[in-house]
Amino acid sequence: MSWLKWFEFRGKSIFHLSYSFHRLTGLVLVLYLLMHLSYLTSLTFGREVYEAFIATTVTPTFLIFDILLVLVGVFHGVNGLRLVLHEFGLAYDARRPILYLSYIIAFILWLYASYKLYVFVMGV
Amino acid sequence: MAFEKEELHTRQVLEPLGWIFQLLTGILLAILVTFHFFETHLISHEGLSFENVMLRLADPVHKAVYVLLLAAVSFHAFNGLRAILLDTSFGFSNKNAIHIVVISICIALFGYGITLLLVV
Amino acid sequence: MVKEGKDVIFRIKRFDGEKSYWSDFVVPAQKGMTVLEGLFYIKATYDGSLSFRASCRMGICGSCAVKINDRPRLACETQILQLNSSKIKIEPLDNFKVLKDLVTEFEGFFAKHEAVKPYLIRKDESYAEPVELIQKPEELQVYYDFSFCIKCGACFSVCPAAATREDYLGPAAMAAAYRFNADSRDEGRYFRLATICSDGGVWRCHFAAECSEVCPKNIEPAKAIQKLRFQSAVYMINRAFKRW
Repeated sequence: MSWLKWFEFRGKSIFHLSYSFHRLTGLVLVLYLLMHLSYLTSLTFGREVYEAFIATTVTPTFLIFDILLVLVGVFHGVNGLRLVLHEFGLAYDARRPILYLSYIIAFILWLYASYKLYVFVMGV
Repeated sequence: MAFEKEELHTRQVLEPLGWIFQLLTGILLAILVTFHFFETHLISHEGLSFENVMLRLADPVHKAVYVLLLAAVSFHAFNGLRAILLDTSFGFSNKNAIHIVVISICIALFGYGITLLLVV
Repeated sequence: MVKEGKDVIFRIKRFDGEKSYWSDFVVPAQKGMTVLEGLFYIKATYDGSLSFRASCRMGICGSCAVKINDRPRLACETQILQLNSSKIKIEPLDNFKVLKDLVTEFEGFFAKHEAVKPYLIRKDESYAEPVELIQKPEELQVYYDFSFCIKCGACFSVCPAAATREDYLGPAAMAAAYRFNADSRDEGRYFRLATICSDGGVWRCHFAAECSEVCPKNIEPAKAIQKLRFQSAVYMINRAFKRW
């Protein structure tokens, strides 16, 4: 179970934590990708099946999962862009401010998307 | 004695290419997934209605974007999984098996997605 | 604020070859006393079987790296009272096989360092007629920071790739490889790149960058590896195209 060491947070800096989260969110997104194909599949069965699917999954009960999923996706995307920059050997010396900035950007984008989701699902 | 060159197999070039494409598909996905989320959730409250979904799928430009999105996400997800598996001791000893399995599942899922996009 | 003299408990992870266990010792810490001095005090006063590595006592040999309160540090450069804690946890470095108490195996670590050929390689090695190798200050600056490695193993112990893959070269070896690749006097970069480009080389790094956070010499191994990664990609793609 050595892979558990990827998710060790004791004594680790925010850089290692970002690595752990990036790996975790990536795995969650792969699982979500597989589940998402079910939406497209339901379309081939016609309107009733699709709408029944939407009616079960786009509801206030699922909202909390949707909001968490958006957090997972936004974090992976924004952190990923940070990694693209550094893995090409760029801006290494500014890595700390860039890390903090990417967390702030991810948080703001997440708040906005969650708000929109909430408004949409709750019909406010 | 210090000058014995170790030879690289041509096939090993797939590793840096895989890295470059992981980053490129990552950037592409950051744009396309945002666009996809925008369309389905942020433009109107009816983004997910059956009519609107079918309208988008009927439009050839949209369909092309979806194919691109599917290709990029399939590559990025399965190349990512491949990298994670290769980071382990299991990956050290079973490199070829991992490549075969991961690439097969990737192609299978991509093929399934494309069939759905064409059929719907 | 650093107090004058205080009793601090050292909680040390022990290993006798078969089982691990913890031992607690009370160390009367004085201002300026280092963790290494505390370990020597324990060995002299309480338990002569406590095993740890140490040599220079001044942060240049790299022998005394241990995990202090979950973070790898040089024991000789860490002052007990500056940790601001009445209990200090000391463990051997992660990702190394523990031989006894705080002493870990380092053969693999050194072998990986050797594998990247960490010495100047030149086409013409005629020592009968030595020639001075001229290097400008700007050329020195390119690799100078990476030359301070004391091989303490702290970077290797926090690397998540080193934790799960045994043949991963590690930050120290790759920083050494870059130090020589970037040296204007060196002509052997293509001989190092073959090792660097292997599966256990640069491609296992995903920029956790924890190595740079714990290096006692502030070498920034993460920076060296990213630069090495780019060099490797260019090298491998060029070679592939030349064959075709």
